[in-house]
Amino acid sequence: MLKGRKFRIVASLLALALVGAACSGRDDDNEASTDEGGSEGGAAAESAIDTADCAADPSAEIEGNEIKLVSSFPQSGATAAFSQIARGWKAYFQMINDEGGVDIGGNTYTIAFEDKDDQYNAQQTVANIDELVGQDGSNAFGVFSVVGTANNLAIRQQLGDLCVPNMFAATGSPAWGDPTYPWTLGSSLSPYSLEGKAFADLLAEEKPDATVAMLVQDDDFGKAYEEGFKAAIEGTDIELVKVEKYATGATEVSAQITSLAATGADAFFNGATLLACPDALTKAAAANWTPITWVSATCTSKTLMGLAGANANGVYSYTNLKDPLNPDWDDDAAMMEYREKVAQYQPDADLDNGIVAYGWTQGALLVEALKAAEAPTRLAVMESIHDFEASDVGLLLPGVTVKTGEDDPFLGEAYNIMTYEFTAPDARNHFVLVGDVSDVEGQTADFTPEDLISSG
Amino acid sequence: MQLFVEQVLNGIANGVVYGSVALALVLIFRTTGVLNFAQGEMALFATFISWKLTQQGLPVVGAIAVSMAIAFVSGAVIERVLIRPVETGRSPLNVVIVTLGMFLALNSLVQLIFGTDPQFMPSAFPSGGIELFTSNGRTATLQKGTLGLVLVLIAECVVLWFMLNRTKLGLKLRAVATNPDSARLHGIKAGSMLMLGWALSAAIGALAGSLVAAQRTGFDSNLMQTVLVYALAAAALGGFDSLWGAVICGIIVGVADALTIQYIDPLNGIEVVLPLALILVVLVVSPHGLFGKRTVERV
Amino acid sequence: MTTDQTGATVEPMLGAAPLELEAEPSPGRQTLWPQIPRPVFIARVIIGTAMAAAALYAPFYFDPVYNRLLSQAIYLAIAAMGLNLLTGFNGQVSIGHGFFYGVGAFTSAILMVDHGWTFEATIPVALVLNGIVGLLIGLPALRVRGLYLALVTLGLAVLFPQLATKYVEGTGGVALVRPRARDFASLIQGLDDDQWAYFLSLAIMAVLFLLAWNLVRGRIGRSMIAVRDQEIAATTVGVNLAGTKVATFAISAAYAGVAGSLSVMVDHVAAATNPIFYFQRSVEFLVAMAIGGAATIMGPAVGALALVLLRRNTEDLIEGKEILAPALYGAALIAIVFVLPEGLVGGVRRFLAWIGRRSSAKGRPPTHPIPDDSQ
Repeated sequence: MLKGRKFRIVASLLALALVGAACSGRDDDNEASTDEGGSEGGAAAESAIDTADCAADPSAEIEGNEIKLVSSFPQSGATAAFSQIARGWKAYFQMINDEGGVDIGGNTYTIAFEDKDDQYNAQQTVANIDELVGQDGSNAFGVFSVVGTANNLAIRQQLGDLCVPNMFAATGSPAWGDPTYPWTLGSSLSPYSLEGKAFADLLAEEKPDATVAMLVQDDDFGKAYEEGFKAAIEGTDIELVKVEKYATGATEVSAQITSLAATGADAFFNGATLLACPDALTKAAAANWTPITWVSATCTSKTLMGLAGANANGVYSYTNLKDPLNPDWDDDAAMMEYREKVAQYQPDADLDNGIVAYGWTQGALLVEALKAAEAPTRLAVMESIHDFEASDVGLLLPGVTVKTGEDDPFLGEAYNIMTYEFTAPDARNHFVLVGDVSDVEGQTADFTPEDLISSG
Repeated sequence: MQLFVEQVLNGIANGVVYGSVALALVLIFRTTGVLNFAQGEMALFATFISWKLTQQGLPVVGAIAVSMAIAFVSGAVIERVLIRPVETGRSPLNVVIVTLGMFLALNSLVQLIFGTDPQFMPSAFPSGGIELFTSNGRTATLQKGTLGLVLVLIAECVVLWFMLNRTKLGLKLRAVATNPDSARLHGIKAGSMLMLGWALSAAIGALAGSLVAAQRTGFDSNLMQTVLVYALAAAALGGFDSLWGAVICGIIVGVADALTIQYIDPLNGIEVVLPLALILVVLVVSPHGLFGKRTVERV
Repeated sequence: MTTDQTGATVEPMLGAAPLELEAEPSPGRQTLWPQIPRPVFIARVIIGTAMAAAALYAPFYFDPVYNRLLSQAIYLAIAAMGLNLLTGFNGQVSIGHGFFYGVGAFTSAILMVDHGWTFEATIPVALVLNGIVGLLIGLPALRVRGLYLALVTLGLAVLFPQLATKYVEGTGGVALVRPRARDFASLIQGLDDDQWAYFLSLAIMAVLFLLAWNLVRGRIGRSMIAVRDQEIAATTVGVNLAGTKVATFAISAAYAGVAGSLSVMVDHVAAATNPIFYFQRSVEFLVAMAIGGAATIMGPAVGALALVLLRRNTEDLIEGKEILAPALYGAALIAIVFVLPEGLVGGVRRFLAWIGRRSSAKGRPPTHPIPDDSQ
């Protein structure tokens, strides 16, 4: 009897395997391919986007007077804090709607938006976007500000096949520069690898022969920092002596800092994010190690720097946005509008939180891109974003121009170095801008290893 | 050598964190036979309460004391309302489900009530460190906060051990944990003892949470989630039987982790393998953990 | 503790009532199936047929979004069944089966993306590979019992994302492998892709559930239960303790692996970028098993469906307070366990047994096997 049962099991497995093997070499002739993809005339020839294989017509005009944007981001669970980003852009869209809507290619549209919680799980993002956009792309115009590198990676293929825009991905991964996925593009958040370059340039001025120690997260985020920095210091006298990694989500890094401090390096690239970042600063200070320190741009929030307190005094980072905490902007018209409108439309938002300011700015940038589109179609809007230029929009720093072009898919390539000034525990401590805006327009690919951009 | 000592100190600092949570886990296991997955989140809730109290101006020690009292009462209530009805059923799995449900609910409630921003918890101990020795121009320092935590843990172990092993109350607690029916036959109110067990563990957990949060640079609703796996490992290593075992094994796990980060590069990024491997190795050699008691099974 | 037929005390470590009996037969009652009274049997047949009909019709009625949910329930059910064999019937508690699920998912995804396999051919590979991995893990697990096993498996679930991040070269430098949607196109003309995914999963689930049912009713099943209830006594009657335990571990791992493989078809992605995801999955398997009814055959399926629907409906229940979704979900789990301590299937069984007792208590004369035409 035992043999009988075992035999049945094996047979079922074989059957399954045979079925599978018999169906090899399946084509995509199930896919409905349309050939209305290319628009008539010269516009198609100039477009960087190949629309021959679109499953949905990218030149179809928006129906009705509403443009629907959808998004998926963490709203509960461990990373619920990221939901603040959306408060920024929702407020901006609500403001635009109240002012009459946005003009796209001659027609006026109100911006409708809908989102779902994905708890930072890429699998859930796929399900959410499939549902929100629809199997044939008919439920929404496009996708906006999805949070998380993995989350955006999981949906870019599907959206690319449908020719549905995935706009302003809320992560600094260099992967959004991949030309195989023209329908996915990043936001004004600078690519992570740029921080390595900025720090390398800074050291070249302050201490050209510096030894550098690095702390990074053990994933793609950390890898972008590490590789970007290594590429940037090639041919200089700066030497990377040690790199320590910490597990994603870890909140303390004392062992790593002890190891890095033991090198006595002149400079320290603190690529940690969330709670690990202030912990690194505190532990470095406790180890009596006072290198020239760079902190990740993701760490520059009021709360995180506040936790490091005095230990953060003098650290460098960069930004391309006005900081709500910086008293220099209190009387700035754009800042005042931001504060007033977000408080009005999204009362739950934390106005001092930099990611709300970031969200607000992305909303503003999208509206500018929509206005610049030649027609109210997905193709035209995407072309507009691929060939976009803006300054003094939203909370962008004066002097910062965000720009994309034919060979330059990266929006945020201008930055201003800043340094943290800590005066007293209860004071309004904030970053202070140093020097002028640096612009490395179009150069991201030069110091970012190819495999970070186009790795399939 | 210098580096080694420094990493050991780092390890001890983390180890006492794991040990203090492990202590609460072992306590509740010994007194009620339940592995409470929500232990960390209960401690988290209490930690936020004490943080909130310090924000209102209460001194740290007072805030912690109040949160411990609240935790004590809440623990008893949780046992009576959520656990007892399910415990008398047939499947121990149901209690696990309830604790998992509590885990989710408490974490979410903390985010709702106290927000998702990281916060700073003031320490009950003086700041600064005790310099141990210096070489190569660098000093190995034992932070006063860590030392304080060690002393608190020792005190807890002594008090709890005394209570469990030398008092009538402790005897009743242990009787109920071992065999509730026999205990009832002896006139012991099993229900009250179970409530007491939960109350005590909740209070110990609250203390652990507040001290751990203070020892870290900042804390948020994820405080306990990174700690829990290591704390469980520490408790398991100790055999789930011994309070001292939990603390000592917590330190062992912490030190092993720090040394792995420093010296074992291939494990870079997967350091969590270490507590796993430790448990496996120890249990293969000594199936009841390093400090557990041998139990004889009657057929 | 429960008392079995002979009056001896039987203390199951886990799981609901032992498999054999639901209601006691009353004298004079004609039963088609030994020990199950007719009204109960008829009721079960009706319920079973209705469920089967609903399951077959569902994908034509619902939209692709809902079909995906149902397919998720199916692969969750498969994993829960695997865990049921290990934990419900064999008493080894694991909260780490997300590990095998993950291995299965990445096996399928990597074979498809890097080596061009068709999806269906990857399923047996996932099954066999996880069986082997389960064997390798089940062997040292022999030395680790009860609580410790639970913790070690927990460690595995936490370890998996880290292993994947370190060793998987996914897209974008991230532990994520994403086959194209068209690679999962329907093999049957007239069926949409989501319907095909549903039916394939359903077919595999049916096969695996049938195998499990067979296993449990046979000699191996009895060995498993014996090991669960009274390990030492079982060895004295000749049960191969180590063999049973390791084999059960391997089989349960294989089931979880198949579930992971199917998840790639349903979810279109294998990702290990969220550090707690596979722990969450492990817990879901356990919860599905428990609220469905441990140590039952339909339990995992019922529990999985309930879980998926629960997750869906608590997602945005309270507008503006999405952050509370886990709290609502947790509260609902607690409520289910309160109301139905034996799980949903156990509750249904008790209800049916109550029917059986009521009709026999009325003392009606035995009915003919063929119903009266006058009814």
